Amino acid sequence: MSEEMTIALLGQPNAGKSTLFNSLTGLRQHVGNWPGKTVEKKEGSFTYNGKTYILADLPGSYSLSANSEEEVITRDFIASGKADVVCILADSSQLERSLFMTADYAGITVPCFLILNMEDVAVDQGKKIDVSLIEERLGIPVIWFSAADKKEYGAFYEAMERAISNKTTLKTEALEELYGKIDGYDEIKTLIPEDLISGYSSMWLASKTLENDPVILAKLKNTLDEKTMNRIDEIRSAVQGAVATGSAKFDWIDQIVKGAVEEKKENISLSRLDRIYTHKRWGKAAVILTILIGLLLSFVPAAPIMGLGQSVSKLVKPVNNGLSDLGCPRLVRALICNVGIQSMSFIIMMLGFVFGVTLVFGLLEEVGIMARISYVFDNTMGKLGLQGKSVMPFLVSFGCTMGGAAGTRVIDNWGQKVLTIALAWAVPCGATWSVVPMLSSLFFGAGAIIVIIAILAVMILHMWITAKIFSRKLVKEGDRYGMIMELPPYHRPKWGSLLRFVLGRTKDTFIRVTKVVMFVCLLFFLMSYSFNEGGDPLLYKIGVAIEPVTKWVGLKWELFMAFVASSVGKEGALGVISALFTGGNFSGAFYESMAGAAASEDLNDILLANVTKPEALAFIFAITFNMPCVVALAATYQEIHSVKWTVRIAVYYTIVALILAAIAYHVGCIIW
Amino acid sequence: MRLLELKEKQTARVAALDGDARFIGRITSIGLTPGCKLTVIKNDKNRPMLVYSRDTMIALNRNECEGIEVTEAEA
Repeated sequence: MSEEMTIALLGQPNAGKSTLFNSLTGLRQHVGNWPGKTVEKKEGSFTYNGKTYILADLPGSYSLSANSEEEVITRDFIASGKADVVCILADSSQLERSLFMTADYAGITVPCFLILNMEDVAVDQGKKIDVSLIEERLGIPVIWFSAADKKEYGAFYEAMERAISNKTTLKTEALEELYGKIDGYDEIKTLIPEDLISGYSSMWLASKTLENDPVILAKLKNTLDEKTMNRIDEIRSAVQGAVATGSAKFDWIDQIVKGAVEEKKENISLSRLDRIYTHKRWGKAAVILTILIGLLLSFVPAAPIMGLGQSVSKLVKPVNNGLSDLGCPRLVRALICNVGIQSMSFIIMMLGFVFGVTLVFGLLEEVGIMARISYVFDNTMGKLGLQGKSVMPFLVSFGCTMGGAAGTRVIDNWGQKVLTIALAWAVPCGATWSVVPMLSSLFFGAGAIIVIIAILAVMILHMWITAKIFSRKLVKEGDRYGMIMELPPYHRPKWGSLLRFVLGRTKDTFIRVTKVVMFVCLLFFLMSYSFNEGGDPLLYKIGVAIEPVTKWVGLKWELFMAFVASSVGKEGALGVISALFTGGNFSGAFYESMAGAAASEDLNDILLANVTKPEALAFIFAITFNMPCVVALAATYQEIHSVKWTVRIAVYYTIVALILAAIAYHVGCIIW
Repeated sequence: MRLLELKEKQTARVAALDGDARFIGRITSIGLTPGCKLTVIKNDKNRPMLVYSRDTMIALNRNECEGIEVTEAEA
């Protein structure tokens, strides 16, 4: 056999699917979206015994019903026959509950095998599982292992090959017997012929019919005659089928594990840590503290890399001079230095931060703390249409928006991930905090405190309105429901698998982000470069031409240029101002300030002489709520891998920043 | 009685579930089916309820709990 085999990974969230996926595929993976859907699609490949296997990571879902887009995609993919074998994952530390997916799978005709993951946690609980007994009862290969332990993969490959060559499917007799006790099941099953819809047995279709599964009912309606369909509708409306089949599935699970699992009677109480996190009064504070400590810790691995990035930008001048001595044309020099080296500096700094944040917050996820964060902030974030976890990216964004964007990796719903990033952009980042308080106190003295309070108030309002606008398309009404989620037991971190994952993501980020940053920097370069020595660059011409408009929002052309520069990086905005008001060379000013050239020493005097109070207020609001920076833009694209949504968010923020500036300016004009 | 009325440390069995297909699908998939035993771990206002059932600590949004009827049981 030389053709590629496709394996699909199926499991509930927290069953350890991504650990298994990452361990098997390493860096050979591709993340995108399912065509036309707001659901992430992950695919990768690995070779074993000289054969190549394609691994498809199906979206995390709790069952195979049709309650969410994820579940429908998962089911359709399996039934389509695109997978040769399905690998079902269950968490052996919460065995009964997590075998539900297996029970729901019974009756699907695609071969499968079962992995009881998290052996280490289960063993710590004092659990013993008789794997061969379960294997015999299920009729498919079953292994008990820890996906995080690379040494144990021999058993995995062996089970996989056995499932493929023997085309093993789940034994369904015992489950069918239990279904048979439900009123109407037997009759519905006789009304649905075998092989009616490929991939599903009539038993599976009959159980989904009882569950009022809308997709399956529509399919049956298309294939069965009207009389049969009417009879089916009659039977199913008489019973609460979904509850009955759910009970039957758990009864079946009880039969499967009976006598096969030995466990110590656990005393159910909260661990000391959980008593703090779930505390009525201190829970929220504990979560915020945890995230802030995480943020600080993420700087430990990040700082050296970020320092390296910063020093790369110092190469601009010597390289420029060197090239100049070699007689290199001005345009080529500018491209190499202002676009090439400058972009690399941004990118390396970003990678450092992404590495740190992915590592620390990946760790919080793996040990189980992230689930507690979800619990504590479920109510608050639910109001924005988000999961409780979204609080983490928001807090991280006070430090750096790209870290916030990288942190959304732990959000398993794509729409909510995009919405979280869209809102996190409104949180003023560290660079903003380094510019805004200084500007405010320069112009307003002690009034600066009021400006900062106003900024925080506007931030909350901004997030609330943005949530309303964006959530309509991203988080469907039907998907908005409160949390029904397990709090997994705490796990010891597996450093090896975590590091492999983090390095893989960092490399992946590097490739994607380089494209975006290079592109945007090139675009800004072309607009700000004067192609004839001494001529006016495009951006300058535009800025001066539209000054009548930008003046209305309170921004003279110099301030508007600084606003534009702040979309690349906020620290640069002041440098641009000081250069422009002192009549400096435009394109030089733009790029030198991007490269971190200090604003001139008499900046304060320059500002006070050229900018009025209402204009200053407008400018402060404009740069605070503008797009955070080009790297945050790239990080956003990296996480949501949608050009459309990245551009939408960027355009939206630019417009809103100008609207806020206009409001601030006109309010300012009334006051002063 | 409703699940929400239970106090901390009380044990009960699920008597009936009521809600739309999505709710029923989700609540059964996490293991709360009629007859199953659960223990309330936390029941604070403005926080999801915490119950322990089938080896699992489950967090339940308070609105979602409305559809869960229980009968008290021996611990």
